[in-house]
Amino acid sequence: MKPDCYSGTKMPALVLLLALAAPLPAQYRLYACMRVQKNWVAGAPLPTSGLFVRPALGDWEHLGFNHPLVVAVDFEPRDPGTLYLAAGNGLIQASDAGRRWRILTGHEFTELRDVSVDPNSPGTVYFAHTAGIGVTRDGGRTFENLAPMPRRPYAEAVRVDRTHAGRLVCGGESGLFTSEDGGRTWRLAGAAGFQIMRIEQSPHDPGHWLAATQQGGLFVSTDGAATFENSGNVGVGRNLYDIAFDPAQPGRIAVAGWGPGVLVSQDGGKSWRPRNQGLPGAEIWSVAFDPERPGRLLAGVHEEALFVSEDAGRSWRRYGLEGSVVYRMKFVPEAAR
Amino acid sequence: MKRAAWLVLLAASAPAAGAPPLEVRIRELIDYYAHPKRGDFGYATIAARLKLGEDPEWCSRRLVELLRPPLTGDMFWQFPVTAVAYLDRGQLSPEARSALREAWRTYMPFRGDTENHWLLYYTSMYLMAQLWPNEPGETWFTGKSSEENQREAAAWIDSWIRLTTSRGQGEYDCTHYIGVYLLPMSYLAAWARDPVMKQRAAMMIEYLLADYAAENLDGIYVGSHARTDDTMVLEKWRSVAGDFGYLLFGLGPKPEPMAGYALYYALASACQPPEILQRIATDRSRPYTHYERKRTRNRWRFHDERHGPVYKTTYVRREYAVSSDQGGILQPIQQHSWDVTWAVDDPRGVHNTFFTVHPYSSLYELQTYFTFGPDFGVEEVVRSKRTYDSPDKLLGGSPYEKIFQDQDTVIVLYSIPPGTRFPHINGFISKDLNEFVEDSSGWIFLRGGQALIAARPLQPYSFKPIQGGGRRLFSPYLNNGIVVQVAAASEFADLAAFRRTILELPLEFRLEPRPAVRFRSLRGRTLEFTYGEAPRVDGRPLDYAAWPLFGGPFLEAEVDSQQLLMKYGSMRRRLDFRNNTVLSQDGP
Repeated sequence: MKPDCYSGTKMPALVLLLALAAPLPAQYRLYACMRVQKNWVAGAPLPTSGLFVRPALGDWEHLGFNHPLVVAVDFEPRDPGTLYLAAGNGLIQASDAGRRWRILTGHEFTELRDVSVDPNSPGTVYFAHTAGIGVTRDGGRTFENLAPMPRRPYAEAVRVDRTHAGRLVCGGESGLFTSEDGGRTWRLAGAAGFQIMRIEQSPHDPGHWLAATQQGGLFVSTDGAATFENSGNVGVGRNLYDIAFDPAQPGRIAVAGWGPGVLVSQDGGKSWRPRNQGLPGAEIWSVAFDPERPGRLLAGVHEEALFVSEDAGRSWRRYGLEGSVVYRMKFVPEAAR
Repeated sequence: MKRAAWLVLLAASAPAAGAPPLEVRIRELIDYYAHPKRGDFGYATIAARLKLGEDPEWCSRRLVELLRPPLTGDMFWQFPVTAVAYLDRGQLSPEARSALREAWRTYMPFRGDTENHWLLYYTSMYLMAQLWPNEPGETWFTGKSSEENQREAAAWIDSWIRLTTSRGQGEYDCTHYIGVYLLPMSYLAAWARDPVMKQRAAMMIEYLLADYAAENLDGIYVGSHARTDDTMVLEKWRSVAGDFGYLLFGLGPKPEPMAGYALYYALASACQPPEILQRIATDRSRPYTHYERKRTRNRWRFHDERHGPVYKTTYVRREYAVSSDQGGILQPIQQHSWDVTWAVDDPRGVHNTFFTVHPYSSLYELQTYFTFGPDFGVEEVVRSKRTYDSPDKLLGGSPYEKIFQDQDTVIVLYSIPPGTRFPHINGFISKDLNEFVEDSSGWIFLRGGQALIAARPLQPYSFKPIQGGGRRLFSPYLNNGIVVQVAAASEFADLAAFRRTILELPLEFRLEPRPAVRFRSLRGRTLEFTYGEAPRVDGRPLDYAAWPLFGGPFLEAEVDSQQLLMKYGSMRRRLDFRNNTVLSQDGP
């Protein structure tokens, strides 16, 4: 009888070699909130849009319903298979890794702009919407609208400090505001008078925050979001839409905007270089670093596609989601390993 | 004596000559959609045939075809299929019914971002949850149970009724969207099982129709509108409002075809409007001034109050109507702030209107009312509303336009900051004017139908052609304005006599530092208006604080009252939304 090729004394070494050669199981899934929007208005046919996922070893898959305004995604850290979507129809809980949707909110909240799960307070999800900041503290059973930010309630961005439960940083039409008490009271932290587009906290230094603005450029905080100051001329006079800290390399940050395109800093934001060579345009909605592949950067180019760079933006190639506006990307740990 | 007066009133307000009775108009409409001569035989045909009890096998087959994924249409898909579901009445096949049910699990319509979107969405949700009660969240696209869906929908509908009857509609007096408000109320009045919801919806139909009835001229929804469009702002009759004017009141010529909104309205609550509404809609025997207070659309940014007040004035008489709001940006994109509309025998193809605008477009306007990001908002709007960012547009409000109307006199002032994208004003000069005279005095005299219009631009102007006919008055000055006085042809021997009278009226104006006008109107009042200040009538400032929700000879309602009193002769009808009652007194 011919021996099984996997039998014999050499088998363990061969299996080991094959195992090493094979890709490692993916640790993260890339979620993208996008819309293909050419000539779309409410009531018109909508090309497949909403929430998409791309496993490390696979192609894009549309999840849940076709929806024109899924603009942000976050996940429950204790159960990464449960996502929260900021959507036109409200706050959506997308369980089963994004496949099964339930609109959690009612008619009180509309056209959500951002969502942020409090990792230190189970069941607490904050979201920015047209009339302020909403929150559920019981996993979506009940909701309240937080005290409005000073001056005007419109909210575009919200982030929870991952090191302090109930510590919020929010942005609306007139600057950045922080709350130390879960949104009961607010204090102006900077960028006064500017519309805020995005807020992010560094994964390496919890005291390091960045905020992107409409026309005002990039604002930085190094004191845990107590105060934000303009970081220089980056994006001033233009509109910045997204910020990405590279989780694999401290000091590397990318920002996205219309006009500036993709800007990358290797020194924690002290200096910036444009990384648009190879992109079809400099109208960029979103950027994200792949936590598993150092230097791998993604950028959503307006109504073109998602693009990927393996060298932190020095060169680019198309990465699917053709014709889309990618509002937001999020790398989410695999739910079950 | 009283009886004689009543007979005179009845004769004066008879429905338009030639229109068949209501039941015939409705039957013709349903027949038109049930047996279309061409078209795609969509939901409207299914719904119409189900209403008539015709060909249920075809209806079932076609419904299954139409419900094959992917579905589109959002709330504009929800309302036809809701009608189909309620008109089924045992006619559809199990397969068709199953496809209908499955669609509400697998297709998530966008709830939208306007008042009309939400009313369609929540009315449909309410009725479908009522139709399929006690079903778990897994069977609905929302993920919520039937009871949760219905409760949420009922709460929003109730809040909308309360807000509308307290502060007015946000999308007020729309030439097109009036149908989108009548339609959900028609559904709820016909199909809601909760007697309170049913009653409130029936009352809202009257409320919305009363709003229209007092401001129509032969079926044309006159004057300032929260929303209209590039076509309807010129050919004023060709609108959904015109469809309903004909359908419910027999006004104007028969529209062919009528929009589907009228069909779906008729398929549900095709009830006869109360007699008093018929009278209000048709009696133009005496001139009157009608006042309304509305509210702006939701202002998400740049304002301390979500809804600002809208102050409307409308003067109506048999020959013409003049109507305006106070100017400013009250609605994005499709606002129409003032005009003169004159009556014509046959309005089809006729541009029976005169007005001016400042062609304004801005990111500020869009971000006030929408969640648009800064770079792409204007372009995105232009993709569907092509004239939005165009210098020659004739539609839209402007923050640099202020308007004051007293009876049939209008003063419009502009103060456009330097650097504004389009630093000029446009005026619409119709192709359908009977007379047009540019006078050396600076006045322009026009006659449209039996309306005489005197217009005094405050700055030099020129004319540019308009595709489709007519001319555009073009005046490229930052501080600008126009004074308009209208009269009926019957008041003067001819246009020359009107001219002589107008030239005798004292008019003073200045343009710097801000435009200001003082004018003795044809009706004998001294009107003073300075840009940015409260207008004055005979020395007294206009009291905006006292502006009613409805005020005039036909309708009365106080702000926050949740009531509406309709009046005609000795007839009275009071809608009271606080206790959901209708009190009616039908004359002597």
